[in-house]
Amino acid sequence: MTVNGRQLCAAVPGRRSLAEFLREDLGLTGTHLGCEQGVCGACTVLLDGRSVPSCLVLAAQADGCTVSTVEGLADGDKLHPIQAAFWQEHGLQCGFCTPGFLMTVYEFLLSTHGPTEDEVRRALAGNVCRCTGYQNIIKAVMAADLMWER
Amino acid sequence: MGSSMMGARIRRREDPQLLRGEANFVDDLKLPGLLHAAILRSPHGHAAIKAIDLSATRAAPGVVDAFCLADIWPENPPAIPVLVGVESMLQCPQYPLAGQRARYVGEPVAIVVANSRAEAEDALELARVEYTVLPAVVDAQAALHPDAPCLHDSAPGNICARWTQATGDAAGAIAAADIVITERFKMQRYTAVPLETRGILATPDAVSGELTIWVSGQWPHTARGITAAMLGLEERRVRVIQPDVGGGFGVKAEIYPEDVLIPLAATRLGRPVKWIEDRREHLLGIAHSREMTFDMELGLRRDGSILGLRVTIISDHGAYLRTLAMVNPSLAATGLTGPYDIPNYSAEVICALTNKSVCSPYRGAGAPEATFARERLLDVAARQIGMDPAAFRLKNLIPPEAMPYATGLTSVEATVVLDSGNFPAALRQALLLVDYDGFRARQAQARSEGRMPGLGICMYTQLAAVGPHESAEVRVDGQGNVTVVSGAAPGGQGTATSLAQVVADQLDVPMEKVRVSFADTARIPFGTGTYASRNAVMAGSAAMMAAKRVRAKAAQMAAHLFECSPDDIEWQDGDARIVGMPGKSCSLANLAQAARPGGSRPEGMEPGLEIRHYFETHAVPFSYAAHLAEVEVDPATGGVKVNRYIVVNDCGKMINPMLVEGQVVGGIAQGLGGALFEELAYDSDGDLLTTDLFSYRLPGTLDMPNVEISHLISPSDLNPLGVKGVGEGGAIGSHGAIANAVEDAIAHTGARVHQTPLRPSVVWALLNAG
Ligand code: FES
Ligand code: FES
Repeated sequence: MTVNGRQLCAAVPGRRSLAEFLREDLGLTGTHLGCEQGVCGACTVLLDGRSVPSCLVLAAQADGCTVSTVEGLADGDKLHPIQAAFWQEHGLQCGFCTPGFLMTVYEFLLSTHGPTEDEVRRALAGNVCRCTGYQNIIKAVMAADLMWER
Repeated sequence: MGSSMMGARIRRREDPQLLRGEANFVDDLKLPGLLHAAILRSPHGHAAIKAIDLSATRAAPGVVDAFCLADIWPENPPAIPVLVGVESMLQCPQYPLAGQRARYVGEPVAIVVANSRAEAEDALELARVEYTVLPAVVDAQAALHPDAPCLHDSAPGNICARWTQATGDAAGAIAAADIVITERFKMQRYTAVPLETRGILATPDAVSGELTIWVSGQWPHTARGITAAMLGLEERRVRVIQPDVGGGFGVKAEIYPEDVLIPLAATRLGRPVKWIEDRREHLLGIAHSREMTFDMELGLRRDGSILGLRVTIISDHGAYLRTLAMVNPSLAATGLTGPYDIPNYSAEVICALTNKSVCSPYRGAGAPEATFARERLLDVAARQIGMDPAAFRLKNLIPPEAMPYATGLTSVEATVVLDSGNFPAALRQALLLVDYDGFRARQAQARSEGRMPGLGICMYTQLAAVGPHESAEVRVDGQGNVTVVSGAAPGGQGTATSLAQVVADQLDVPMEKVRVSFADTARIPFGTGTYASRNAVMAGSAAMMAAKRVRAKAAQMAAHLFECSPDDIEWQDGDARIVGMPGKSCSLANLAQAARPGGSRPEGMEPGLEIRHYFETHAVPFSYAAHLAEVEVDPATGGVKVNRYIVVNDCGKMINPMLVEGQVVGGIAQGLGGALFEELAYDSDGDLLTTDLFSYRLPGTLDMPNVEISHLISPSDLNPLGVKGVGEGGAIGSHGAIANAVEDAIAHTGARVHQTPLRPSVVWALLNAG
């Protein structure tokens, strides 16, 4: 498996979820578990470039795959433009949902340029935030679209 | 002194770490030798426990400990205390584990500790508990019936408290009224559901002999006191630290059985033990809230002036009374008059026990319930007397010249004196923003096309902070760095940023110099915590006063060095100098160095450029807002879409308006969820039907409109910053605003809204009744 650009090899128990593997075995605790029911999106990571709830994927299923998590977004000290936009627009409060949103937005903006607000809302419909009421998250995505050269 | 930071929209210092995935929530903490706990819970709403056999559980792979109540406390187990009571309240306490009777589904019965969470959960399945199922009562009205099963021998008739809250002569006023409106409104059971569930990590420290507890909470000092007392430990040997918290909204300011069980397990084993609540456990066991029924009588003069209001509130408390059980009904009973001039008022409060999870405050704590009931009632009244609902409200709002306005009511938290504000101005401005007259014309047009738009008005007041105190320590070190230690315990409000703004202003230093830390009982001896919208008011004022006193001390120190009077010291860019002598100055860092122990100081001055300040008060400010919701109901499906939402908000002065607006919008989303779909639904046996986030639906991106916010600013005289709390307001106003909007949309069909949530099926049924 390749995680955030690093190749690794591990043996895991059959029932270990990808989220648990990332958090417990690799120490990548930026991927959060909000429900373990596949609803909240806090655990979203990219599996071969596609956003998935890592609570519903077994670690073993990710064998041979490329996994990207929130820890891989920033470039050293420099925040990724999506992260910078969330900061600028106050797109987070407790921040528990944020890693999942960032990964969903990453996938969305990679393939979409100049989205409408409605498209952004639809793209993020699988992520729950209990703090912000979404308004500033939507603003942040619109800002990130302009800030991110891709 | 410059006041450059107060009122500035400053980006949050909390964010970079959160954005990088480098925050430290309790489940992110790792300790060597960590063990994991799992809790066995009652599957029955009401059952006698005949026997518990944990032998197979103890023998399961990876298990290191398992116990039930009798294993630890064969008799006299410690009860979770009630912190604020009312006189009539009876004792219906919860213990760390159920003993001979379980009274709600999800009640802890036993605990298992194992090497991994998976092993602990596997071992739970081997526990043998012999239950005799008893009849359950899940409806508060039914619980009050003489034939209902009784939950606690100590509370006959399932009434755990009953009292009357009154001012003036409501009965007389209603008897003398031209028109009397009688209505019943019911708010459903729903709650906070923060995205991070609860979690606890406890570890005994062999070196210090202390027990350290990391908890996703809101009040570490209170948690320390209660946990220590319940476990029979010395308070000084228990340290509670709150790491990053993924939302609390009130429900993490509570003492739950696990708050005692996990530290107990760690103490027994001498090893770190962690428990992270899963989402199912969360919905079963987290403090539930909001479930109240209001029977209301409103007496009016023919011209639309309100003469009196008489109410009976039935509050559903679930199976036990825990720490803040009485807050919701008390704040509801003292909040019903809100921003209106209702001189004659009386509320009888009946607190009922049912076989459901235990209730406690959630964002607004009684105010959303009361606001919903009152604002619904006002719409009904306006229609009945043929007045426009906005005009009816404007007629009865307390006029600005009557402020401050003493309601004559006192809750378990505070005396209700509305300290400042202009309620009619807020409503008028909101009506202007929504183009109220234009809306009515558009609505008429839309109805003629078969569409159903509606507009709901809701005004509220909120208790905006409570005392009795908050602490802050401000210290300047020899490098000129400023450290703030606050007794607050935030979970996403951005309080580190706002306190840094306050302190940077007072000391005239760049914000980057100021570091703020919270929520650690070892860092500061007293602290109250984060709830009741209190951070800006209480923690902000404590930090401001501490910084102000540090500044005064620094001036004395400078005068000592310059051999002049402190009155001759002035400050320039954070440096002290003698008035009129620009050449000679001394930096804050140099003053801090000079003030170190062992140096030369003015007579009587304590060493160190540091002050610990307790901001103490019992007087609380009240903030308020006007909320307008514009919705459209789909006649074919009953679906409700909120298209526009306007808020005119007044929370006094603002430290950081960006954070204020974030709180307002976030709160509105929670009230919207409550108005439209969130519900903790039980079946008749006391089984919770909504144990996942599919069945307990939270608002998503497609449910929320963009909220348009404007501010009025009526500073509060009750604290040095002139601020009022705002954290709960959004949730208080939006439930009622949206419920009113839905009825406005469908009222022409004869449909009436008496309870929530207004799911599509419910609205469709209203539209198609008869
Ligand atoms: S934790 Fe995976 S969707 Fe919620
Ligand atoms: S910021 Fe708290 S859940 Fe989104």
